[in-house]
Amino acid sequence: MLVAGKDLRIERRSRVALQQIVPFGGIVVLVFAFALDSDRTLLSRAAPGLFWAAVLLAMILAIGRSFAVEEANRARDGLRLSGLDGGAIFLGKAAAVAAELLVLEVVVGIAVVVMYDVTLRGALVLVCAGIAATVGLAATGTVYGVLAGGLRARETLVPLLVLPAVMPVMLGATRSFQAALDGAPGDAWPWVQLLVAFAVLIVAAGTVAFGPLLEEA
Amino acid sequence: MTARTWKRLFLAATLVALGATAVFALWVTPPREEQGFEAVRLLYLHVPCAWVAYLAFGITAFASLLWLVPRTRSATWDLLAGASAEVGVVFTGLMLVVGSLWARPTWGTWWEWDARLTTTAILFFLYLGYLALRRTGATAAERGKRCAIAALIAFADVPIVHFSVTWWQTLHQQGTVFNPQLDVKIDGSMAFTLVLAVAAFTMLYGYLVLERFELAQLEEGREERELQHAIAERVRAERSEQVVPA
Amino acid sequence: MNHNWNFVIAGYAIVTGTLLSYAAWVRVRARRLRRTLPDESHD
Repeated sequence: MLVAGKDLRIERRSRVALQQIVPFGGIVVLVFAFALDSDRTLLSRAAPGLFWAAVLLAMILAIGRSFAVEEANRARDGLRLSGLDGGAIFLGKAAAVAAELLVLEVVVGIAVVVMYDVTLRGALVLVCAGIAATVGLAATGTVYGVLAGGLRARETLVPLLVLPAVMPVMLGATRSFQAALDGAPGDAWPWVQLLVAFAVLIVAAGTVAFGPLLEEA
Repeated sequence: MTARTWKRLFLAATLVALGATAVFALWVTPPREEQGFEAVRLLYLHVPCAWVAYLAFGITAFASLLWLVPRTRSATWDLLAGASAEVGVVFTGLMLVVGSLWARPTWGTWWEWDARLTTTAILFFLYLGYLALRRTGATAAERGKRCAIAALIAFADVPIVHFSVTWWQTLHQQGTVFNPQLDVKIDGSMAFTLVLAVAAFTMLYGYLVLERFELAQLEEGREERELQHAIAERVRAERSEQVVPA
Repeated sequence: MNHNWNFVIAGYAIVTGTLLSYAAWVRVRARRLRRTLPDESHD
């Protein structure tokens, strides 16, 4: 209830940011194409990895945005004083980031399919893996976002903290996407399980840790 | 016997153990053809470094846990976590370098995406992030809290990373020419030297953490003194302001 | 095939050098801090 309300409020505010983060994802797709010398076969084969790399980079921006908003208006204090349970705040923020990421993924996905010459297959796997991965990414980013919140070096610290931690998601997401696109969706399910397990773990950890982290000393 | 004497003795013992390791590793043990002839001697550096890296990380996580639990909370655990992490980074970095130096003559390449090296690379960055986080804390309590949670999340993440990378590698292995096995079938003098090396490096780890921990305590003390100094200055300034307006 | 000794020497040198430097660095910093301390104060 309250959480959903906060979720929507964040999204409405963030719609401005969506106009910057999504294009960023698109540009990264272009950058990779230039980096790989517009080699069609190479791009097509590397598409799952490049897709998720672009999403990962854009996620860093999204997390930064999510917490910059808090800091701008001393909203952090507002959050604490609102009486909302720490876990609920966490789920709300993470859900907002996840929603943004999903929109981003659709757009970047279209760009990748078009520019890297990809044939879409295994839709079910793509959707399941995509959602599980997104939840994992959003939750991890939100946890580290609040962990580094209020620190001057936050913007550079969060990427350094988040990226090594989400390597399992990177692996699971690219492998399952690869399996789906290769026409062997059955191979993907173990990876999807990994993604789901990771998502469950990090959401649980975040729910517990968010409250204490929000309290200032 | 004072603490300093014990420390000196410990250092001496560590150096002896390390020296013995070097003698065995570089002279007594034989070269092995399958593992790059003489290059196999790097095994006695690589494995101990790996062991120490994981040990250090484990201790950082455990100390962080002790700090988080209110009943056992103490600045000691926070400082220990930080000291162990820094020493751990050093050994992790060394492990990667030595692994690379061993890979070159053995596999023909400086790097191989085998599960252990890849996991270690990620471990290295997890550590670096943690150390960066340590330097930004406001108060000791605030820093302790953030770092402790970061350490525990990272620690829980390592097995997941290892598991997923191992799995990834198992799938890759079907096509590779190389057999990136860093597991060596060892026996006799090699086994002994390896155990000796691990023991010696563990002692070295203990010594380095001890020194680093003491340094951390000193730094903490200096920060507190500077803080009190600044407060005293402030008070003095305010008092003189009250006297002056005539 | 004994030219692999290069790698061994490089490895042992790097490890020894790094660990020695690190130990020295920590000890020097500690010594400097100890000197700035006022008289032995017990907490």
